[in-house]
Amino acid sequence: MRFVWFWTFWHWSRESFREGSLLRRPLHGIGSHWDEWYLHEASENDRQAVKETGRTESTQRQFIAWIFLHWTREANWQRNRLTARFVLGQLAQVPPFNQWAAFKEYRTSYCLGGISAVVLAEGSPGEAGDVRQIEAIALPDDSGGGAPKVVPEGFQADSPQLDIPRRAAISLLSGKGFLVFLALWITGGRRPYPRWLSIVITLGWMGLAGLVIYLLRGPDPQARLFSFATVLVTLWAGLLLIALTVVISQSFRAWRAGKKWSSKLERSQLRLRMPGGLKLKGSSAGLPFCLNTLLSIYRVDPPAAHRSWLWQRFFRKLHSEAEAWAATGTVTPNASVKSVVLEPKFRACLQQVGITRILTPRQRDGNQRVIDRVTEALTAIRRKNIQATPVLTTSQLGFAADTRALRSYSCRHVAQAIMSMGDLSSRWQMGVNVLASVVSAAILIALPDLRSIIAPPPAPIPVTPSSPSPYYLWVSLNTEKPESFQVVLESKFWTNRRAVVKQYSGANASVRAEIRLQRVAHQTSFNEEDGTVWIERRRHFLTREFAPGERVGRYSLSYLSRLGYE
Amino acid sequence: MKTKIPIEELLRWRLARAEAEAPRPPRAARLLELARPWWEVWPEQFRSLVERLGQVQVGYGHAMAEPTQSRTARPVAALIVRAGEEFQASASVLYFSIEGRRLRLRLQIDPAHGRSDPAFEVTFIAAATSIPLFSSHATLSVENEYRLDAELPEEVAADWGEMKVTDRMPFRLILRADTNS
Repeated sequence: MRFVWFWTFWHWSRESFREGSLLRRPLHGIGSHWDEWYLHEASENDRQAVKETGRTESTQRQFIAWIFLHWTREANWQRNRLTARFVLGQLAQVPPFNQWAAFKEYRTSYCLGGISAVVLAEGSPGEAGDVRQIEAIALPDDSGGGAPKVVPEGFQADSPQLDIPRRAAISLLSGKGFLVFLALWITGGRRPYPRWLSIVITLGWMGLAGLVIYLLRGPDPQARLFSFATVLVTLWAGLLLIALTVVISQSFRAWRAGKKWSSKLERSQLRLRMPGGLKLKGSSAGLPFCLNTLLSIYRVDPPAAHRSWLWQRFFRKLHSEAEAWAATGTVTPNASVKSVVLEPKFRACLQQVGITRILTPRQRDGNQRVIDRVTEALTAIRRKNIQATPVLTTSQLGFAADTRALRSYSCRHVAQAIMSMGDLSSRWQMGVNVLASVVSAAILIALPDLRSIIAPPPAPIPVTPSSPSPYYLWVSLNTEKPESFQVVLESKFWTNRRAVVKQYSGANASVRAEIRLQRVAHQTSFNEEDGTVWIERRRHFLTREFAPGERVGRYSLSYLSRLGYE
Repeated sequence: MKTKIPIEELLRWRLARAEAEAPRPPRAARLLELARPWWEVWPEQFRSLVERLGQVQVGYGHAMAEPTQSRTARPVAALIVRAGEEFQASASVLYFSIEGRRLRLRLQIDPAHGRSDPAFEVTFIAAATSIPLFSSHATLSVENEYRLDAELPEEVAADWGEMKVTDRMPFRLILRADTNS
């Protein structure tokens, strides 16, 4: 077995905790415990073995690799991938590891990277050093609630400055913040379709919109109306089904993953590391604290994000591009972002190599124009400084390299920051959503019309009552869809008329068409009972009425005028 | 001129010279004075510091919403004395171990009380009687954490022998960064 001395130490630490000599659990106090063990408890053999391990950088690195690959697994920390980094970061501060070359990188950071906060030093107008990278590590908290939930490392902060961003992160994973995030994604977020499918879906919605316009304004489709209506409904149902399936399934998966992470975060102790030894005043680091908290909980178990495309996309982007981002803004427990001082922070970011994007609260002085103004001012100062320096050569100076691009992303809610960082916002998708909403609204309103075209109601038959007046013909029909039918009188004695079927109330309530009987000027028949009554289907689409459809009934005038009297 | 000098003779010469140049040994009274603890040398200052230490109120109020099996530190009242300034503070005992008469202790000072001094002379004051028990040297370990290794007086060792880190500590602390004043 390799590195037995570390197991000896670990065992001592666990036993001392169990018997009540150590206050903190073996993992949480590992640096301090090691210091105590190495100074007072380690045997001569152990010290010799430690010395042997530290003899060359190669053996030191072997120890680091052993911690990552074996110790975390054998000490049951394999479910948290950050444990090894935390252990190495803590050990790097105490002898003899603080002298080992291989631990150099762990002395000032956990080698994780994170979104930088812009925390101005006292009296600073905004310097490169004010952009401070924050690293967050979530460790299992098995203290039973006694230990603080957030521990600052390398700086001091009041409890609310640390706790509020954590609560905002929990809200974003499984509370109201998550609902805001979902709403933003549903209304204008990129979908997990392959490109070809995205194009097909967009074309589908555009086709539907075209068809709706054609049915409203185009030439009467006559016999093709049925085909058009069928295509319209089928295509719309298909597209809607795809959209709803994707939205519902992704929302559910994101909710489930967020719920899991949220409970994990509640059971974790978060350690936030920011260099500089500052005592934090103000709460503008809340936004980067919150985002780094989210990142830390993802880093504990990255494969857990595979189940949710939404979270996976955000976290992957954040994980790989975190070092290019800076953020500033006060967050509230429900993850809203409140305004802060911005101009000196822009100045600091512009001078910090590597920062190309900054998240800010949505406020008047947070737009790109202010950044451009600060950039110009900085360039002018540099130009002046260079010109003041004696130049020995006659070569031309180029200032193009001085101006770096810094893009600001403003947000009112951390969910908007997630959308920006995960590159989830899509104007194209938002356009498609607007189109789809308008088309869907039109189709939903027209659904009864489309139904009567595709699946027409059964043909009605004439029933009583008939008209009590000889000047009127009533054609009462036994149908529940009066709007789908009309009646046509064709006669050589009476004027040909067409009347719509309506619901009439009152003494002779019925569904009927009423036709006023009027003699034609030049009669070709002298029989006042001459005439045929046709029942026709009516076909509408929203405000448009098409040419009459199929004739579904033929009755003689004499039959209808006697109906109910004989 | 004789150039070969035996090494023994050379060493004797060096010793004689060192003795001649050495400062005079302190008198017995001075030695006794130096061996006396600081609270006996400056009793007035001690009294005033103990008075201030008595004003430090620390302790947790457990307004628990649900039962927990938490393991929390019991804060110990502490007074940090630097040149010309005094701070009321609290300290958490992180490690407490007594083997025989040997006390090994690690404590963390509330980080809100300014910079980390590299070392302190820690005076243990009985919480109940305000009597000084002993003092020892504590050095900075990691991040505001100090380690201390001290030989306990016999009666103190007997009283504290069974104590655990989570028990209420029967002492208060005066932490002196500047031991010359």
